[in-house]
Amino acid sequence: MNIRRILTITRRIFRGLRNDWRSLFMMFVTPVIGIAVFGVAFSGDVNSVDLVVVNQDQGYQIPPASVPVSIADAVVENFDTHVLKLDRVATEEEAVDRVRRGKAFGLIIFPENFTSNVYEKMMDPSLALDTTIRLELDRSNVTVANSILKAVSDAMLKASSAMGVEAPVTLDSSTAIYAQEASFRDFSVPGITAFVVFMLTFILTLLAFVSERTSGSLERLQVTPLRESELVMGYALAFSVIAVLQTAMTLVVIVGVFQVMVVGSILLAFLVIALLAVMSLSLGIMLSSLAKREAQAIQFLPVVALPVFLLGGVFWPVEGIPAWMRPLSYAIPPSYAVNATRSVMLRGWGVGEIWVDLVALFGFTVAFLALSVWSLHRARG
Amino acid sequence: MHNGYAIETKNLTKLFGKFTALDGLDMRVEAGAVHGLLGPNGAGKTTSIKVLCGLIKPTSGEAYIFGKKVPDRSILPRIGYMPQETALYLELSVHHNLAMYGELYGLSGKKIAEREKELLRFIALEKWKDAPVANLSGGMKHRVSLACSMIHEPDLLFLDEPTVGVDPELRASFWEYFGLLKRAGVTIVMTTHYMDEAQHCDKIGLIRQGKLIAEGTPGDITRGTNTTNLEDAFLALARRQEQA
Repeated sequence: MNIRRILTITRRIFRGLRNDWRSLFMMFVTPVIGIAVFGVAFSGDVNSVDLVVVNQDQGYQIPPASVPVSIADAVVENFDTHVLKLDRVATEEEAVDRVRRGKAFGLIIFPENFTSNVYEKMMDPSLALDTTIRLELDRSNVTVANSILKAVSDAMLKASSAMGVEAPVTLDSSTAIYAQEASFRDFSVPGITAFVVFMLTFILTLLAFVSERTSGSLERLQVTPLRESELVMGYALAFSVIAVLQTAMTLVVIVGVFQVMVVGSILLAFLVIALLAVMSLSLGIMLSSLAKREAQAIQFLPVVALPVFLLGGVFWPVEGIPAWMRPLSYAIPPSYAVNATRSVMLRGWGVGEIWVDLVALFGFTVAFLALSVWSLHRARG
Repeated sequence: MHNGYAIETKNLTKLFGKFTALDGLDMRVEAGAVHGLLGPNGAGKTTSIKVLCGLIKPTSGEAYIFGKKVPDRSILPRIGYMPQETALYLELSVHHNLAMYGELYGLSGKKIAEREKELLRFIALEKWKDAPVANLSGGMKHRVSLACSMIHEPDLLFLDEPTVGVDPELRASFWEYFGLLKRAGVTIVMTTHYMDEAQHCDKIGLIRQGKLIAEGTPGDITRGTNTTNLEDAFLALARRQEQA
């Protein structure tokens, strides 16, 4: 071992880095941003989740009090408003409709005569009166559903202790509006599938296009009658075929081997992922213009993967991200695919319900393809 | 044709940041001539070719090819370009590389097959037709690259250092073929830093620091500098440029 020779190699690496601002950025700025986003986004609790409240309880005037009291109101007042965002409606139908349309993650129903029934039952436990609070959840997002359940249970305990009595109240959450039997795996698989297809397609296209630039073949192509738009579309077509096959194989494995819940059309889920793949390859082509060689292109991976992983709803629900950070999720194209795939597979939604996600994915794809063509034109500096 | 010139540039300038790659280049290439651009590395030879091919936009000045101002897509089918890098698809065979460029130029399958046969004979790689380019030696790749630039029988051929890495015997056959192309009316513009090779050119332009410091036949240039070879002529002209 010769220390001088070792230091020569070390020095060579640092000298190289001095002229490579992209690598320096990736080395020192990306981890800081990644950790900061992780720290803020994964702050712990799911928050600001929409819950529809149907309070049919009229309250009850318990002698000798002169004003009626309502246990339902007491429970609602004890809801942690950091976790739950309440939306009051008059009828059960209205509430179910809101959850079915994805406007809320669950509904809670306090039946008519709830407080009087509870009071009567306290006096005589043998009476067969309805003292059950019904909680019907959209379980397509297991983490969110469990958070709502916990928040409601906590509120009931708090209300009970505030009133100083142990009320004979039960919480029935056995009926779910969506994904009754969903497990955490059912919840996470659509997100992971979207993430895997996104990353693989993105990497493949990025490297293929960077190699086209570094080998000089791109320049040669630009001197033929081939137009930049034709080049991009040629790439898009080839990698779309690859991506579609990749998607089909992935879905066969998750449905065939892991038997993940599929309530809706598997064909629609397939189309969503395929559209995501086309979007990913257009992003790959677009970003390839920023890398001068393959090593620099590789460094893009964490920059692209981290936001998708942290903010795209892959593992951690978007509802678990602080409300002020959620708009960032809408700027991350794969989040639309994650949401749409999960909705199709676990909620059984069709095109009518996920069209916004499809339009967003399509819009990003068109924009990235247009920017790819523009970046090729611009390269003729 | 523009005044009988295949190429004409007027005060062509290209800056890369603060670096001047081309400094007011005025150049004329007669149609059907073999025109050499000579100069040391970094003189601006490749930049000139890239500007003429429409790959780089000039900072100022104008360039015309067959009378049309560059960049103009309508001239692309008439030009062939061989870059300095091999610029081939290594995982594809020699045949598939040639066929791809043939298709991009809109040649029929029959025409591609004809041209491929002719070009493979010229570059002496008939036996390697179906071999992946990755399996070829550096010189062989260079020959395939040259063939790709000629598949569509261009009227104007830009060759950036076409003979680098080519052995003397093959280099001689290249020059023979360039002679045939010239007789067929093809204009050839090539860069080289081999001064001896420039003797084969009808005219040469000596480029230094982005400027054309001399233009004419090799004989004109050596006579004009009272030297016996192009290398000495170049050094004499470089000294003059320094003193000016």
